[in-house]
Amino acid sequence: METVLEVKNLCKKYDNFELKNVSFKLPKGMIMGFIGENGAGKTTTLKSILGIIKSYTGEIKIFGLDSQKEDKKIKEEIGVVLDDMFFPEILTPNDINDCMQNIYKNWDTKMFNDFLKDFALPANKQIKTFSKGMRKKLEIITAISHHPKLLILDEPTSGLDPVARAEVIEIFQKQLANADCSILLSSHITADLEHIADYITFINNGDIILSKTTNELLDKYGIVKCSETEFKKIDKKDYIKYKKNKYEYEVLVENKKDFKKKYDIKVIDKITLDDLMVLMIKGEK
Amino acid sequence: MIGFIKKDLAMIKSNFKILGGLIILYAIMGLVGELDVSFILPFISVMIMISTFSYDSYNKFDAYSITLPDGRKNSVKSKYGTTILLIFVISIVSIILSFIISYTNTKSIDYAQIFFTMLGNIFGTLLVLSVMYPIIYKFGIEKARIVICIIIFGIAILGGFLLQYIDLSFIAKSLDFLENYLAIILILIAIFMVLISYKISEKILLKKEY
Repeated sequence: METVLEVKNLCKKYDNFELKNVSFKLPKGMIMGFIGENGAGKTTTLKSILGIIKSYTGEIKIFGLDSQKEDKKIKEEIGVVLDDMFFPEILTPNDINDCMQNIYKNWDTKMFNDFLKDFALPANKQIKTFSKGMRKKLEIITAISHHPKLLILDEPTSGLDPVARAEVIEIFQKQLANADCSILLSSHITADLEHIADYITFINNGDIILSKTTNELLDKYGIVKCSETEFKKIDKKDYIKYKKNKYEYEVLVENKKDFKKKYDIKVIDKITLDDLMVLMIKGEK
Repeated sequence: MIGFIKKDLAMIKSNFKILGGLIILYAIMGLVGELDVSFILPFISVMIMISTFSYDSYNKFDAYSITLPDGRKNSVKSKYGTTILLIFVISIVSIILSFIISYTNTKSIDYAQIFFTMLGNIFGTLLVLSVMYPIIYKFGIEKARIVICIIIFGIAILGGFLLQYIDLSFIAKSLDFLENYLAIILILIAIFMVLISYKISEKILLKKEY
């Protein structure tokens, strides 16, 4: 499968934080959920991909091109939504349309205006009069109105109410109807990702600790709930992490079926991405 | 670059009521003889351009612009482009105002006086902005205000100190020469200043991380 984005051994060091050999691949036409707790390195990774941070080591290829050397060519084909970064709020959607017509070769004014109508966004009002949900929708439709082949979205649903979140996800799904488009979507609202992401990449403390298809994660992984006696019988190599609760142990296993065959433990729950994050970060080995 | 200039012009347009109000106020003050309107140009131009930096910074457009095609370079080019465009427009408004005020107050128009005042103002405005822009790109608009105050204060103290020891009579000797070629000299220095300033700003922004 053709790769749209490849991050290889990305390292970036700050005084109190470090990205350590971050590597992952996003195949064409897929959505990758990029998850991790606050401060795990999601935004630093995205900023490196976009060239907002330049002094990193490692290799970033977008559409097979070097992200720093072919910056201009790549940016024509990318749409971006970053947390709290956008056009000045005294501008109106009409102003943004005027500017973008001269910035992107493929800017589609009709598409932009149709989206404004679809989402009931006033074209002549200053952005500062918009609610947070309206503002986010405007950022997203601005990111997609030049028919990008790759969308990079940092926390696009953060701070939105459930209705606005559903509408935002609807925009992504509409965009995905365009089979050429791939999406890298960072979020800590994992419920959204379970529905739309094809791949999940999990970063913790600057380290990629997991990068798999969503189906593989949700179908294969499981949480074993057992007593202390039962837990003590489990071989360390058969689980990833465990957490001791007041009355039971929660044990994260990579393959529910194999585990069931080997151990006589009845309760193995399906996993959610929230469970996975909590156990991977807070669990012990 | 055009898209970025349009963004800055749209920001200026949205503050047009304040801008227009200020120009009318100064015009009235000039007509009643309370104010020399020639200072409108440097004052308004600097104020407007600084406000565009403030809006960009407040909404982190600086970082967002890097995600757009050739964003780093266009961002700098457009600021200088908008500045030149703005100074051009305000100069015309200023010249018209000066003609009106001069004619109303004295029933005559001193074209040479207005031309040289305007040239001096354009030069002064470009000098101030050429110094300010690289500082703003380096430190960000908030810190830049402090840095600029320190620089002005430092120059004033240093200048005062040096004037006690330097004989400036050579300037008086060169005045005849300067007077004949003043316009050309100022224009050439202004072009050189803006180009140097632009190159420094571009270099700073090409390396900057957010």
